[in-house]
Amino acid sequence: MTSAPLRSPEECPIAEWAGTRVTFPFEPVPAVGPIDLKVRRGECVLLLGASGSGKSSLLLALTGLIPESVPATVAGKTRVAGRPATERRPAEWSDTVAHYFQDADQVLCGMRVEDEIAFALENRALPAAEIEARVGAAMDLLGLPESWRDRRSLSLSGGERQWVALAATLVQDADLFVADEPTAHLAPEIARRLHHILVASKGERTTLIVDHRIGEAITAVDRVVALGRGGHVLAEGEPRRFFRDHGSLLEAEGIWRPAASELDARLIDAGIVLTPPPLTIEEALGQLAASEKVTEVLGAFLAERLPPRRSSAGAVIVRLERADCAPFLGKPVLLGIDLAVRAGEVTVLLGRNGAGKSTLAASLAGLLRLKGGRREGPAGALVVQQAEAQFSQGSVREEIASMLKGTDAAGHAEKTATVLAAYGLSGLESRHPMTLSQGQKRRLAIAAIDAADRWSLVVLDEPTAGLDAAATAGLIERIEALRAKGRAVVVVTHDMDFALRVADRAVVLAEEHVAAEGPAQAILLDGALLARHGLKASAAALVRRWLDGEGPC
Amino acid sequence: MLKRLNPLTVLAAALIWIVATTLVFSVAFQSGALILFAALILVLGRISPARLLLLMIPFALFGFGFFTTNVLFRQENAEAVAVFSQSLAESDAARGGLILFLRALAGGMISLFFALSIEPVALVRALMAYLRLPPRIAYALFAAVEVVPDLAATAHQIRLVEAMRAGRPLRRFPTPGELFRMVVPLMAFAVRRAGRTAIAMEARGFRADRPRTLLRVPGFSRLDLIFALALVAVLGLGLIFA
Repeated sequence: MTSAPLRSPEECPIAEWAGTRVTFPFEPVPAVGPIDLKVRRGECVLLLGASGSGKSSLLLALTGLIPESVPATVAGKTRVAGRPATERRPAEWSDTVAHYFQDADQVLCGMRVEDEIAFALENRALPAAEIEARVGAAMDLLGLPESWRDRRSLSLSGGERQWVALAATLVQDADLFVADEPTAHLAPEIARRLHHILVASKGERTTLIVDHRIGEAITAVDRVVALGRGGHVLAEGEPRRFFRDHGSLLEAEGIWRPAASELDARLIDAGIVLTPPPLTIEEALGQLAASEKVTEVLGAFLAERLPPRRSSAGAVIVRLERADCAPFLGKPVLLGIDLAVRAGEVTVLLGRNGAGKSTLAASLAGLLRLKGGRREGPAGALVVQQAEAQFSQGSVREEIASMLKGTDAAGHAEKTATVLAAYGLSGLESRHPMTLSQGQKRRLAIAAIDAADRWSLVVLDEPTAGLDAAATAGLIERIEALRAKGRAVVVVTHDMDFALRVADRAVVLAEEHVAAEGPAQAILLDGALLARHGLKASAAALVRRWLDGEGPC
Repeated sequence: MLKRLNPLTVLAAALIWIVATTLVFSVAFQSGALILFAALILVLGRISPARLLLLMIPFALFGFGFFTTNVLFRQENAEAVAVFSQSLAESDAARGGLILFLRALAGGMISLFFALSIEPVALVRALMAYLRLPPRIAYALFAAVEVVPDLAATAHQIRLVEAMRAGRPLRRFPTPGELFRMVVPLMAFAVRRAGRTAIAMEARGFRADRPRTLLRVPGFSRLDLIFALALVAVLGLGLIFA
């Protein structure tokens, strides 16, 4: 188990998949592969792909967690630092590969925060003083509050857990940092910290990131690799050229690309070629000089990212008055909330991790009893962050069917087929819900609620986490359909572009209260307000600011 | 103050008292144990009375089952009860039932005292450091302890979904039907959770057969000695007067 690397570190890639193919039990086709991919030392590689394209499986196969801990058949050759992955047990690779999983609960073991962060270092039998120092440094690096040291990780909110999980992985200081959707539930200011870490360690740390919306961290990436739905490499290259050259391909495959890439394509169509191709909206706007043509392009870009004109909202569906909202068996995290949601209106709840967004969402749905104040209105539907908690059936088809109970059975099959097609889940009818990818699980959870169509209020908690670009676009359409039917929709999200595209009203939560509330565009285009509450301005907000004559950001 | 005690001191005290309450059939002794540990939790553990009462509900229901069984079906179970205690068999039905009821409460209170007084990870560290418990077993124990709040959180999510489907607010307490319907999903969750914890530990380099650093091993202080001696002395007095 201690044989020397086959080649010197300088010569060999840190991670290598050669004809790797992963096939899960009872599945006729491989989840991913055969695939050939190398990650060189010092590189930061972004792996993109539609949800269900096998990205997570590929990462798990790297250190042998597939098939050692997750049953599957792995064919081909997988190497870590020049050595076959199978040469060591997965635990032994922890000195070389730090693995941040898509689900923070797969990183954390349920200890206190500082114990969670120290765990990997204790396993390596490092001296106690060194461990203490490295835990402190990791907490500083990610800005984790000192007061969290004694908090149990399971008592944290979803986003806070992801924050701690990130620290617990980065503290390993392994040769290769593998991160599967590291920003899915993170508030923008924490995502920004991750971006700074990646930029600061450029060339020193080797990083492989899988994400659907990497945001400004794209500037830290050296190479982008896109996987197709069959789990094969579609295209790869240096980010600036990659997004300019393959933008149409990514769009066709439903794979995410930066907003700047979309703007770049529009500018090229208008005869304006930016050099170098921009990766962020700030970069693009910084290269533009005011002209009629530029204003026209930016106006069209902005219009596409704003919701279409809508009729005014209807009657109040649910109203909270002086409501004190608390998690189940917990203390109030929000005090004196006055809020009303109306028919045919979409409201987004925004705020830092732990601001109480999910608690307010469940309280609005009438599923959590208030500690004070009152709630008026019928109970609503809630799609929780952990989509799996919603599943109780043995197949995707049965999951939808279970929500249709009590309705006319004659149309069930057709309705199931229609809703599965609308959410891009056709072909997965017989799959067990737990075997789906995270993005597919989330889509199924929303599809089941949509299919039942018996709630006047629908609450979606982080609906875009794990969704690819196509699924996000599909979700926007479904939310529009719910609105058109007169449903009130409440969305908890950190995705500002998504929020701006769907919302009529926005509510910002901070320090146990509503910090701001109003028309979505007024809130979401107010850069100063968003910055004050640790939120990130959307691409549209930056473009609007430029068009308003405030210049490049 | 209880958190300042070494978890092994708390464990030993709880075990000794659990054994004593199992063996001594006396209303006074069971009541004394119940009051003593309730006082420790309320005063030293600073747990609110309302929370303690809420936590004691399952034990009270359990004990009430003993009580009613003993009172209503005394003829049938007298022989079995006699195996444990001649004095109980000789006492009247209500008195026997009361003792069993109080024993369930006292046992529950001591268990809560233990659960509310220790940090699971500190216990695991103490077991590994002082009793040479193998890490594989220690962390399995830890994971088992940790799955309880996790199960509670998942049960809450499942109940939220059920309440949503039924179009009603979440009930304060689940109905028997709700509890029954949760059994299979919770078992499935426990299996998945165990798998995830195993992967989490494996990915972060946990190996049972390798030396590891043990940080923050809880030490023993004079407080442990005072606490242990006090509880043993109270136990001795309780046994004398029982």
